[in-house]
Amino acid sequence: MKRLPWFAWSGIFHSAWVYAIGTPVQLDPPLGLPPLSIPAANPLTREKIDLGRRLFMDRRLSHNNTMSCAMCHVPEQGFTSHELGTAIGMQGRSLRRNSPTLYNIGYHLSLFHEGRELHLEDQVWGPLLTKVEMDMPSIGYVVEKVRLLDEYKGQFEAAFGGPVSAERIGHALASFQRTLISGNSRFDRWFYGDDKSALNLREQKGFEIFMGKGRCATCHWVDEKTALFTDHKFHNTGLGWERSMFPERNNYKVQLAPGIFVQVMGALLKSFEPPQADVGRYEVTLDTKDRWAYKTPMLRNVAITRPYMHDGSLSTLEDVVEFYDKGGIDNENKSPLLMPLKLDSEEKTALVAFMNSLTGDNLEALTRDARSAPVTLPVLSKDAADLYMDAVLAAP
Amino acid sequence: MIQCKNRFSRKILATALSAIVASGMTALPATSLADETSCSPFTPLIKGQEDLVYVWTLGVEGVGDGSDKLVTVDVNPKSRHYGKVIDSLSVGGRNEAHHVGLSDDRRFLWGGGLDSSHIFIFDIYSDPAKPKLVKIIKDFVEKSGGIVGPHTFYATPGRMIITGLSNNKDHGGTTAHVIYNNKGEHVKTVHIPTAELNGVKGDGYNYDVAINPKKNAMLSTSFTGWNNYMMDLGKMVKDPEAMKHFGNTSVMWDFKTMKPLKIFNTPGAPLEARWNWGKGQDFAVTTAALTSKVWVYMQDNKGEWQAHDVATIGNPADIPLPVDISMTADGKGMWINTFMDGSSRYWDFSDPLWPKEMFKKKIGSQVNMVSQSYDGKRVYYTSSLLGNWDKKGQDDEQFLKMYHWDGKDLKLGFEIDFYKEKLGRAHHMKFQARDMKSLKPLHAEAEGLDNLRVVLNAASAQ
Ligand code: HEC
Ligand code: HEC
Repeated sequence: MKRLPWFAWSGIFHSAWVYAIGTPVQLDPPLGLPPLSIPAANPLTREKIDLGRRLFMDRRLSHNNTMSCAMCHVPEQGFTSHELGTAIGMQGRSLRRNSPTLYNIGYHLSLFHEGRELHLEDQVWGPLLTKVEMDMPSIGYVVEKVRLLDEYKGQFEAAFGGPVSAERIGHALASFQRTLISGNSRFDRWFYGDDKSALNLREQKGFEIFMGKGRCATCHWVDEKTALFTDHKFHNTGLGWERSMFPERNNYKVQLAPGIFVQVMGALLKSFEPPQADVGRYEVTLDTKDRWAYKTPMLRNVAITRPYMHDGSLSTLEDVVEFYDKGGIDNENKSPLLMPLKLDSEEKTALVAFMNSLTGDNLEALTRDARSAPVTLPVLSKDAADLYMDAVLAAP
Repeated sequence: MIQCKNRFSRKILATALSAIVASGMTALPATSLADETSCSPFTPLIKGQEDLVYVWTLGVEGVGDGSDKLVTVDVNPKSRHYGKVIDSLSVGGRNEAHHVGLSDDRRFLWGGGLDSSHIFIFDIYSDPAKPKLVKIIKDFVEKSGGIVGPHTFYATPGRMIITGLSNNKDHGGTTAHVIYNNKGEHVKTVHIPTAELNGVKGDGYNYDVAINPKKNAMLSTSFTGWNNYMMDLGKMVKDPEAMKHFGNTSVMWDFKTMKPLKIFNTPGAPLEARWNWGKGQDFAVTTAALTSKVWVYMQDNKGEWQAHDVATIGNPADIPLPVDISMTADGKGMWINTFMDGSSRYWDFSDPLWPKEMFKKKIGSQVNMVSQSYDGKRVYYTSSLLGNWDKKGQDDEQFLKMYHWDGKDLKLGFEIDFYKEKLGRAHHMKFQARDMKSLKPLHAEAEGLDNLRVVLNAASAQ
C-alpha cells in the first residue's frame, strides 16, 4: 500500500520542538498491520500513554462529570457502543452518528465519518467542547479543571516536563489511542502467516468473494504484506442520502421485549425529535460530488463493533451483506463501484464468516489495559471557573 | 445535621396499634394505603387533608432560571393560597430530577438526579411550607462502587434504600440497590442478580422497590440504563439497538437478608412496584411500560411467589406507555396513567387476577405521575416523564392538576401551568402536613420493625 509521508505534525496549536522526555515506547505492529507513523512532535512515551489513558477514562473531563471518552467508546464494547445506533451525549443530547471503534485509530489518515479532522492531537477538542458530547465551556476551562484535579498533579510534568496545557492534553490522549492496535487475527495468520489451517474453507471462500465477486476490496483494501481494509476515501453508498431525503417512515418495526415486535405508526412519534440531516463529506468540502459520502471504515474487529455504518443503521454483518448485494441505495451521487452482486446464500454466509475472522488476538488485554485507569474519582469542591477566579483575585 | 430519630418510636407505635386492636380491628390499620403510602410502610401517614404538595421539578433551558427545583404548592382548600405555588427552591443545574422519597420520620425528603447522580436532601419539618436544602450528596457514584442514576428513595428504619438505574462503565442497565443511612452515608451496595436463579436469568436491571414487612418480601422491577432514559423518546423508539436494552425481569427478595428469592420473566420494562395490603391479600402489582402488561405477584399455596400476567392496558402497538400507578386505600382499585395518550385510567382490582378498566379520562397532552389522598377523594397529576422523553413543541404541556374523584368521574379542582410559572417540568409529588403532630403512625408492624432495625444495623457492619 502506498502511504502518505507523515509530515511534521502541525495542528491548531503552535508546537515547539519537543525534547525527549519520558520513557520512549516502540509499538511493534502485529501480523497484518504496517508500522504506525508517529508524528515527530509527539513521540510515544510510557508517561504520555499512562496519562492519556487516565484522561480517556475520566468522567470528570465533561462539564457535569458524567461523560468520559470511554462512555461512548466503551472498552468492553469494541471501543464503540453496542447499545446505540447513534450516540447520546451530555444530558442525553442526540448525536447524528454512530460512535466509531477506536481500534487501530492511529492508522486513520482523517478522522470522523466525513474526515473533517486530521490529527488525533486536535481531534480531542471536538468531543470535549461540543455541547452534545462533553460540553466543556471552553479550552481554558478544560485546562484549568485538569490542573486542579489531584490525580493529575505532577503527571504532566512527568510526561512533558511542564504543566497542563491544551496541546499536552491532546498529545496525551492521542498517545493512548495510538496504542489501541489490534491485528494477528486468524485471517492474518492464514494470509500473512504460515498457518494454512487458520481459516476454514467457508472463510477462505468468503475472502475470495471479498476480493472478487463481492468487489469489497475495491474500497476495503487488502495489500500484499498488510491490510487496513480501507482506501481512506469517501464514498456514497446511499444510506446517508436516504436518511436525509426520507427521514421519516410511515411505520417502524419496534421491539417491545425479546421476540415481541409491533409496527408503530410514524405519526405517533411526531411530537418527538426529528432525525437530523447529515450530508457527509460535503459538509467539509462543500463540493456537491461529496454529498452523502462517508469514510471507508477499517473492517478489522468488525465482528465486535456493531451496529454498523455512520448512522448505526445496520445491526448485523448479515444486514450489511444484504445491503451490498442490492448494490446499496440508488441516488445521483452513488459510488459507481457499487452494483447489485447477485450473491447466493452460501456466498453471503461465507462473506460474513470471513469478516468474523478479522478479530485481533489482544482485545481482552486492551480492555484490561483501559480499565486499569479509574472512572469515577472525587469531583472538585467548587466549579473550576470559580476556583480559578478565587485564585487570580487572591493573587497579589 | 440530618441525623433523625424516628419520632414514631416503638412505644408510640405499640400504643397506636393497641388502640386499633381495642377498637375491634386486628393488627393493622384498615387495609392498604393509598399513594400516600406507595413510598414506604415505614413512613408515617397523612390520613386527613394534605396541606402541601412538593413537586420535584426539572429545570428546562430557557424557562426561568433553568435549574431543577423543589416546588411547594399549597393544597389545603381552607388556605388563602389554595392551589398556588408558595415556594420554589432551586438546587442548581439540570440533574434529570426524577423521584423523591420521604425519610422514615417524614422530616426529610430525598430527591435524586438520574443524570448527575446527585442526591438532594431537604428538611421538610422545620418549616414544611419552606423546605430547606440541607445536604447534597455528590459522591453517590464513587461511594456506591459505580452505580449511576439514583431513582427510588424507599425509607426503612434508619435507612434509605435507593435503587440505581445504570452504571459508570457503559451507561447500560446493569446496576444495584444502594443503601444509605439517615445521615446520608453509604452503607452497602446490593447488585441486581445477573446469574440464573430458579431457571430465569437475571438481567441486572433495576427500577423500583416495594417492601411488605409482614411477608419479609421486597419486590424490585427493571427499566433501562442512562443511554435510553436520557435519550429523546422518538429517537429511541426508532433505534432498534436501543430498544434491545430494556429490563425484562423483576425480582422478589428476602428483605431482611437482601438476597434474591426468585427472578420473574416480566418482559418490557416493569416499572412501579406496589403492594396491596388488603387483609389476607398481600399481593404486589407492576405494569410493564413497553408491553403494557399488568403483572400481579402472589404466593401460591406452597408459599412460593408467582407472577401472573393479568391484563393488557390499551393497544400495545400504540405504545401507550403505562407509567405511574396508584392503589386505592381499600386495595380494590388502581389508577394507571398512560403517558402517550395523556390519560388516567381507573382499574377495578377487586379480583386481582381479573382486573378491569372502568374509567378513562384525558388529563393532558402527556401525563406521568398520579398521587391520591388517603381517602382517595383527591387525585393529583403531573406531566413530566423524563426530560428527553417528554413530548416536544405544543404537546409539551407541563402541569400539576388536582381532581376530585367521586367514584364515577374526575372533576378538576385546580391546575398550575409549570411553564407559565417559569418552573420547568413537573415530576414526582409527595404530600406533607403543616402540623407534624397530625401524622399517623407507620403502617409496618411493631415486631417487624424491630427485627429490621437489627438486620439493617448488622448490614452496615459488613
Ligand atoms: C457522546 C459520545 C462520545 C464521546 C463522549 C466521545 N466520542 Fe469520540 N466519537 C463519537 C462519535 C459519534 C464519533 C463520530 C462523529 C462524527 O463522525 O461526526 C466519534 C469519533 C471519534 C474519533 C474518530 C474516529 C474515526 O474513525 O474517525 C475519535 C478518534 C474519537 N471519537 C475519540 C474520542 C475521544 C478522545 C474522546 C474524549 C475526549 C471522545 N471520542 C469522546 C462519540 C463520542
Ligand atoms: C464503494 C466503496 C465500497 C465498497 C465497494 C464496499 N464498501 Fe463497505 N463501506 C464503504 C463505506 C464508505 C462504508 C461506510 C458507510 C457509512 O458509514 O455509511 C462501508 C462500511 C462497511 C461496513 C461497516 C463497517 C462499520 O464499522 O460500520 C462493512 C461491514 C462493510 N462496509 C463491508 C463491505 C463488504 C462485505 C463489501 C463487499 C460486499 C463492501 N463493504 C464493499 C465503502 C465500500
